[in-house]
Amino acid sequence: MHYLRLIRSFIDVAFQNALAYRINFWVSLLHSILDLGTGILALMVLFSQVEAIRGWTLPATLALLGTYLLLGALRRLFIGPSLEALAGMDGEIWVGTFDFTLLRPVNVQFLASVRTWQPLAVLDLLLGAVVLLTASLRLGRALALVQVLYFIVTLLAAVAILYALLLAFSALVFWSPGLLFTWLFNALFQMARYPVGLYPGWLRLVLTWVVPVGVMTTVPAQALAGGLSLGMLLGSLGLAGGLFCGASLLFRTGLRRYASASS
Amino acid sequence: MLEPQIVVRGLSKTYRVPERNPGVGAALRSLIQRSYRSVEAVRDVSFNVAAGEVVGFIGPNGAGKTTTLKMLSGLLHPTAGEVVVMGEVPWERRPAYLRRISMVLGNKSQMLWDIPPLDSFRLLGEIYSVPPAQFRETLDELVALLELAPLLSKPVRTLSLGERMKCELVAGLLHRPAVLFLDEPTLGLDVSTQGRLRRFLGAYNRRNDVTMILTSHYMADVVALCPRVILIHHGILLYDGELDGLAHTLAPFKLIRVGLSSASQCALDLPGGVELLQRTNGSLALRVARELAPRITAQLLNTLPVVDLSVEDPPIEAVIDQIYQGDGDQEARL
Repeated sequence: MHYLRLIRSFIDVAFQNALAYRINFWVSLLHSILDLGTGILALMVLFSQVEAIRGWTLPATLALLGTYLLLGALRRLFIGPSLEALAGMDGEIWVGTFDFTLLRPVNVQFLASVRTWQPLAVLDLLLGAVVLLTASLRLGRALALVQVLYFIVTLLAAVAILYALLLAFSALVFWSPGLLFTWLFNALFQMARYPVGLYPGWLRLVLTWVVPVGVMTTVPAQALAGGLSLGMLLGSLGLAGGLFCGASLLFRTGLRRYASASS
Repeated sequence: MLEPQIVVRGLSKTYRVPERNPGVGAALRSLIQRSYRSVEAVRDVSFNVAAGEVVGFIGPNGAGKTTTLKMLSGLLHPTAGEVVVMGEVPWERRPAYLRRISMVLGNKSQMLWDIPPLDSFRLLGEIYSVPPAQFRETLDELVALLELAPLLSKPVRTLSLGERMKCELVAGLLHRPAVLFLDEPTLGLDVSTQGRLRRFLGAYNRRNDVTMILTSHYMADVVALCPRVILIHHGILLYDGELDGLAHTLAPFKLIRVGLSSASQCALDLPGGVELLQRTNGSLALRVARELAPRITAQLLNTLPVVDLSVEDPPIEAVIDQIYQGDGDQEARL
């Protein structure tokens, strides 16, 4: 309960911060619409030529785009802003204000992961939901309840994977505090816009097993479109659990290295 | 002495810092093979602090004060030694421990920049699970003591350094810690603000019986607040005791000021063991070994046309300056 109340307090503070900078609202909205627009445009161009690519129809690909937008929105909503505050030359670890985070009587990983929110990302969340809804309607009668359930479960797993990957990349700042590791993640995350199956073999392997950004969007989209096997469902849950534990361990190991910036 | 609230035994901290020679070549080489150097920031430090005590940590820059403070608060793991604060090992950072301590850093802010202090305070209250009634009461008390009321609704970034520091103190005290670590809380503040913060800290200590460990480069902070000082230099504890005893222990000499009658422009014939610090028209400042002071005073009275004479301890700043500059000799002597 305490942790839920804390999250609410962080969101309250974030709203006040966001309202202090009004122009950001419009810029953010424009950014979201552009992101969505380019995504849909690319699909339109593609599917005006062909019916399906390697088994991916337009509605299934839309479901994937919706998942991608939703995950991106969640990242912008709190995971990204919270974790990115650690890294970089003005980051907490470099400057040493991470001292205060460590001194709080609250789990450090929790605090580091949820304390900064970007309320404007709710717009992205809505856009992602609209795209997903459109995809669902286009899938039409083929959509069974069990698919929706599978989709929700795999989406939650995808959120866990996203969080774990970002946490792991952020934990690297304990070894090199000045660097922003998340740019590497950004480049890879872009590739989650399209089904993993479309990429050449070696890249598919990387996106599935090494940095599993592909799994994050492909698996939920397949769940919604009805092409998900039980093995993949369990596999993505296992991957999410494993990555979450691994990233948490890495973060804790990094914490012990933190020497605190000198006075 | 009461049961100690803080027990420190044989505390040491060695940092491993990368080093390289200047120049591009050395920079490139360091990409492949880094060399490290060990820096012993704190060496075998031991002391106790009783509940409610105010202890000043003094020492030059890089002496190990802040490192010691960070180990006491649980921010750093020591290389060796043990610390027990209120029955807890600080670096285990158990919530029960963190709820009972606080740290205020003069050079780092825990306030949220873009929103008014009150909102930062509320968030901290939530983080520390302070019950609403107690939060209100503590906040009112602190705001009154620090005269903060007009600032509560201004964004923190518009506050002056002194105003911000007051907010930092409120932020650090909202959860009513039993032990407060203060790392240079008056850094960069003007003289009158420094004085006001000192008076606040002193009053707060008396009123709430909070243990305070304070580091500062301003001797005025230490003189005003700390009946007891711990002097650390090169990571070694050089002195632990009353502030008044510091000069006595570490500066084994006295200053003798002598006023002479105007007729005496004669050559001085000073007794052995006396160092002439200053001579102006009609007055002398002399430094003598502490144990020689009575005999030399008598001798001066007998041999010189003295109209005025005083024997003083050297000023605390001078003693400390001598220790800071004395480096290794001082350690060897002690």
